[in-house]
Amino acid sequence: MKPAVATRAAVYALLACGWALAAWALAGSVVPDDLSLPRVNVDATFGGDLVSRAERYERFLYVDWALAQIAALATLWVYAKRGTRFIRESAAGPIGTGMFLGMVGLAIVWLTQLPFSVAALWWDRRHGVSEIGYFEAIFGGWLALGGTFVAVCVALLVVMALARWLGSWWWIPGAGVFAAIAALLIFVSPYLTEGLEPVKDRRLQQTYERYEQAQGVDDIPLRIEKVSGDTSQANAYAFGMGPSSRIVLWDTLLDGRFSNRELDVVLAHELAHHSSNHIPEAIGWFALFALPGAFVLMLATRRRGGMGEPAAVPLALLVSAVFSLVVLPAQNLVSRGMEAEADWKALQTTRDPAAARGLFEEFATTSLGDPSPPTWAYLLLQTHPTLAQRVAMTDAWQARRRSRALSP
Amino acid sequence: MRAVTSAPLPATAPHRPVRLVVTDDLERRRLTVLFRLVLALPHLVWVTLFGMAALTLAFVVWLAVLFERRAPGTLHRFLASYVRYTVHLTAYLTLAASPYPSFTGSASYPVDVEIDPPARQGRLGSGFRLLLALPALLLSSTLGGSAALGGWSGVALLSGTGGLAVAVSLLGWFASLARGRMPRGMRDAATYAIGYGAEAAAYALLLTDRYPLATPGRVEPAPELPVHPVALDVRDDLGRPRLLVVFRFLLVIPHLLWLTLWAVPALLAWLAAWVLALVLGRVPRFLHRFLAAFVRATTHVWAFLYVVGRPFPGFVGREGSYPIDLRIAPPARQRRLGVLARLVLVLPAFVLSFAYGGVLLVVGVMGWVAALATGRMPPGLRDLGAAALRYQAQVFAYLFLLTSRYPDSSPVLRGRPPEPAPLPALPAEVIS
Repeated sequence: MKPAVATRAAVYALLACGWALAAWALAGSVVPDDLSLPRVNVDATFGGDLVSRAERYERFLYVDWALAQIAALATLWVYAKRGTRFIRESAAGPIGTGMFLGMVGLAIVWLTQLPFSVAALWWDRRHGVSEIGYFEAIFGGWLALGGTFVAVCVALLVVMALARWLGSWWWIPGAGVFAAIAALLIFVSPYLTEGLEPVKDRRLQQTYERYEQAQGVDDIPLRIEKVSGDTSQANAYAFGMGPSSRIVLWDTLLDGRFSNRELDVVLAHELAHHSSNHIPEAIGWFALFALPGAFVLMLATRRRGGMGEPAAVPLALLVSAVFSLVVLPAQNLVSRGMEAEADWKALQTTRDPAAARGLFEEFATTSLGDPSPPTWAYLLLQTHPTLAQRVAMTDAWQARRRSRALSP
Repeated sequence: MRAVTSAPLPATAPHRPVRLVVTDDLERRRLTVLFRLVLALPHLVWVTLFGMAALTLAFVVWLAVLFERRAPGTLHRFLASYVRYTVHLTAYLTLAASPYPSFTGSASYPVDVEIDPPARQGRLGSGFRLLLALPALLLSSTLGGSAALGGWSGVALLSGTGGLAVAVSLLGWFASLARGRMPRGMRDAATYAIGYGAEAAAYALLLTDRYPLATPGRVEPAPELPVHPVALDVRDDLGRPRLLVVFRFLLVIPHLLWLTLWAVPALLAWLAAWVLALVLGRVPRFLHRFLAAFVRATTHVWAFLYVVGRPFPGFVGREGSYPIDLRIAPPARQRRLGVLARLVLVLPAFVLSFAYGGVLLVVGVMGWVAALATGRMPPGLRDLGAAALRYQAQVFAYLFLLTSRYPDSSPVLRGRPPEPAPLPALPAEVIS
């Protein structure tokens, strides 16, 4: 074996071991390993009418999503073949031209996705889930595309500069730089988000502070986001990291459809994301997925001169899209694990499985979420456990508590 | 110092049915300049009445052209005299000419317009003439170069751009009062606006079916184009891929962020250059190169954003890297007093730069629509945009001490070189 090949093999082996170790460390959860979820009768729990309505609603969105993916991949395939023609439309040097090709590729994909986005919006509006206007959706998306352009430019700047400097080894530091950029964006995003208001409900604030103590975190601001003009869906999220940590409730959660006890479950669930360090863990997972992604990118673009050459960028976009689709089930698995852990911690904090169950049942109504989606949709689209699984977890938690109380 | 012209003046320009003729000698009498607006009051009343009559008759001409495909000679002459009169009046108001104009538009004037006799016109183009004329009237209003159809003070002032001719007349008023002479660049800017306004008015009033051309410098005789250390090269083919036109504003976002970041060291470099130029009498070469690259990169980005240039520009402002390019002469000695007072001296140029900015915005919007529809940038709009970019680049080059030469406000891109100054008379003994 030649020394260069041996060195390369040793580096790969080392990275694979490191990857496996890191994945094992990140995969830990407070949800008991031996927890088995009981079977939930979906029709009985959520009501037959609601389930069939939710299935019908989601089915359209699944088809719309699948067609959008096919259109995006087909577009990127054509762009990978012919996109290099746009090189002559740039006077920006190799890296600038690479950034330009990246933006043009995204612009074309955005155009092809527009009909599917509009179709999904039409469906949402038809079912009363969204109240966003078509004009706002199209031109709001247009502006958001500007942000994506900047992100793509930064990513290509990093990748192409590293590739021109380090040659075919760029992917190792490249993955690290991506993770660092992701961490930076996550850290600063709460400071850049406007329109979040403090909570005025004293009971809610007091409960929140009690749960903060119970979960061992403190001084994480709780904020309200006004979305009721755009949607009737209910949601909450945790974002930021360290001093920028925040928890945000949509005001649609506070419009009277949810009881105080159900809201308490939401608070405990979101706090659990911070107390379980899910956001730093998500960055870790991002780095773990970025490493093989960058490796695949390096391999795929070698025939076009590597990522240092602008001609490789259209192909890189296609490879990135395919890779993202391929690892989507794994990413969703990680995400569902974190959400399940947050649900479990919420139950431990509130000790109110009835409220949690009521909350999940209500979600089926407000968001028209299919409680038990088809397997392919579950694998590719579900970042949270299904509503049936979440209800089952409350039952399992309750059963476990009873058995512990009965045991001598 | 290198030549400014991006291309030599064409030997034979295609015939245009509406032609601007400028015989003005730039001399101005201070007294009439001081009271110019007051003196023009009778004309302002008269142009309103004349305009109402012209608009009424234009409707008759419209019907005649729809049926006969040709304007009646008498009505054509009346409307042509109205357009000529508005040219004279606008030239007088904007200080592009000195003599008090006649009220009929018949006598010759230092800034005059020649209009061909009536010719056959297409019915379709004539039927929708007012609609078709709207873009030209919008641009004419932004340029502020026509008192016809109320364009001079209407849309331009409402849109906040104020009009190029308005800015020129304001600055020219002070300059003429001080020197008894209108600066050539400002006069040429005003006559360009007036010429385009006349073409737009003639088109709207059915005097011709030739669409107004926005290319600056189409004046008889050919205008002068002096050498300037900051010159613009135009090597653009006018083709614009529609996809890049649609997403132009989004594509330029990384450039805008980059220029914002670059502006911080550029500002520090400018401060250093200012101090060093005061001490040394010239800007050190490395600072000159850095600031020149910044000004050039900014010009490339604006050219791309406003559809004046075709390709995606580079990030470092390298000379020769873009079809709309700046050539900036190497550093030269500068007078310390001029360096010291640079921030004050540049203020009038900034006023005009603001007006050119308004023109550039309109060029960008109209060019965007046209390029999206046809896949090409109209040559007139491209040239006007290039002229506006050149002026703005010269303003920033002057501010950043890249040159001590004041910005040339003329929009002319191609013209004849300045005539050499007459040699001093030799003593008799030398002649003998």
